Amino acid sequence: MKQKLFRDVAGTVLLALTASICLHAQEFKIGSESVQVHGFGTQGYIKTNDNNWLTMNTSGGGSGAFTDVGLNLSSQITSKFRVAAQGYDRKLGQLGDWHPQFDFYMADFRFKPWLGFRGGKVKTVLGLFTDTQDMDFDHTFALLPQSIYPTDLRDTTIAHVGGDIYGRVKLPAKYGNVAYTAYGGQRSDSKYSGYPYLLAHVAPGVSIHLNSYGGPIYGGDLRWMTPVRGLKVGVSRLNEFITGKGTFFGAPYSEWSNKDWTNQFYGAYARNRFHAESEYKRYFQQKDVFNGGTWFFADTRGWYVSGAYKLNNWLESGAYYSHYRINFNGGPLVPGGMSIDTDFTDPQKRDFDKVMTAKFSLPKNFTVKVEGHFMAGNGQAMYPDGFYTSVNPNGLKDNTNALVVRTGYSF
Amino acid sequence: MKKLLSLFLLVASASIFIVQAKAQVIVIANPSVKASDVSKNDLKDVFTGASTSLGGANVVPILLKAGTAHEEFLQAYIGKNDTSYRAGWRSLVFSGQGTMPKSLDTDSAVVEFVAHNAGAIGYIGKATPHEGVKVLGVK
Repeated sequence: MKQKLFRDVAGTVLLALTASICLHAQEFKIGSESVQVHGFGTQGYIKTNDNNWLTMNTSGGGSGAFTDVGLNLSSQITSKFRVAAQGYDRKLGQLGDWHPQFDFYMADFRFKPWLGFRGGKVKTVLGLFTDTQDMDFDHTFALLPQSIYPTDLRDTTIAHVGGDIYGRVKLPAKYGNVAYTAYGGQRSDSKYSGYPYLLAHVAPGVSIHLNSYGGPIYGGDLRWMTPVRGLKVGVSRLNEFITGKGTFFGAPYSEWSNKDWTNQFYGAYARNRFHAESEYKRYFQQKDVFNGGTWFFADTRGWYVSGAYKLNNWLESGAYYSHYRINFNGGPLVPGGMSIDTDFTDPQKRDFDKVMTAKFSLPKNFTVKVEGHFMAGNGQAMYPDGFYTSVNPNGLKDNTNALVVRTGYSF
Repeated sequence: MKKLLSLFLLVASASIFIVQAKAQVIVIANPSVKASDVSKNDLKDVFTGASTSLGGANVVPILLKAGTAHEEFLQAYIGKNDTSYRAGWRSLVFSGQGTMPKSLDTDSAVVEFVAHNAGAIGYIGKATPHEGVKVLGVK
């Protein structure tokens, strides 16, 4: 067992090292315009003591099915106008499954510092890190707090096809400045994301196969860079109208949201070698399922507090506490006749995660992170949060400890 | 007492050295940039992608790939080393919010580029000839 663990970790590090040797930022010309090429990739390994996590077979010998890559092309056509596109692919246990997708393809015109437009497929600004969650090299932690940034549900908020209006306004006197983003468009989840996977494995022998899941969305973000050097605070709001279509035992299946919204509040402070962040998110959804035959709601609330200190140029140490709760209820067809309650001692309704991390920044943009998770609860309810019964056929234990090793490279 | 005095002299010498080191890099801009000086915060905003304007006009930052002037500029005005600085830019690139500034090999290449491109702003070693560009004072 120890040999396998060593082999997997060593393989993970070697893969990333090889990538770092082979790949470098490039620039080429199309006509008179310079096009930059950048990319990133990570390879992770996760070992848990009991429950399998994030659809991986993490218990037993652990799993290295935790890989992602991104390739970016961008060109600054004029000082005000640029175009960019980014492809992304990943394998996270049973999710992603090497089906590439565009993270974004867009044109961005910034008329003035306080007014810009970008359109096409654009990343969604929601809280501190939704749009930068894949930038492993820029984060202290191997896994961002899962109460706010569940990696199995990455697709749900990562991008939309539509447009943003954005800008930054300097406030009078010395009150700092305010950045805003307002957006609208269409969300379209991958079939290889967490929620479609959950439905495809509702119960042994029972599957709902979604062919499409998405719909119109709109929202905004407002963040204030305060006069206190290094301190910013902000708020985000997202409204969605989601429809899912597919099949259930060969018959047409559909579900649609009646209410689907997210509120997120956040603050971050950075000074010299230290940084700290905190966020609170409430995600509420109420929808008709089984072609309107029944209904379901999930009310998830999460928050975290994190902090990290850079000990020197190559070592950073950090910790966070992530708090996730879910309350849910359903109509008559939902199994078990669930009831509304606020008894969050039930491990299915919570996941309290204590995390410690060491991040090693090696030469040539190569990083290695070693992280420990100590989770109380499994949050396994009618909406996913990392733990799935399909990969835990013998049932879920209440608590899970996890070791996460993640290597990354960017250019 | 002697040890204390020695320590004081050492710190004082180091301070003088640091001040001189900062003075070895200058900020230059294309003559189309109206501002004649820039605050340290505004300069940091422009070179970290937080802002694209100076004095109400759009500007485009130009970087050196490496070297003494590059290191001194990052240390004095950005407060990061090269690795952290470029990681910040890559984060903007991968989130679709920016394009990495052009990086040039030499100080003279920066002067050449800034002189011939409206809105360009860069930095060079003080001793580098810099005809055709304006020098911005940093407040």
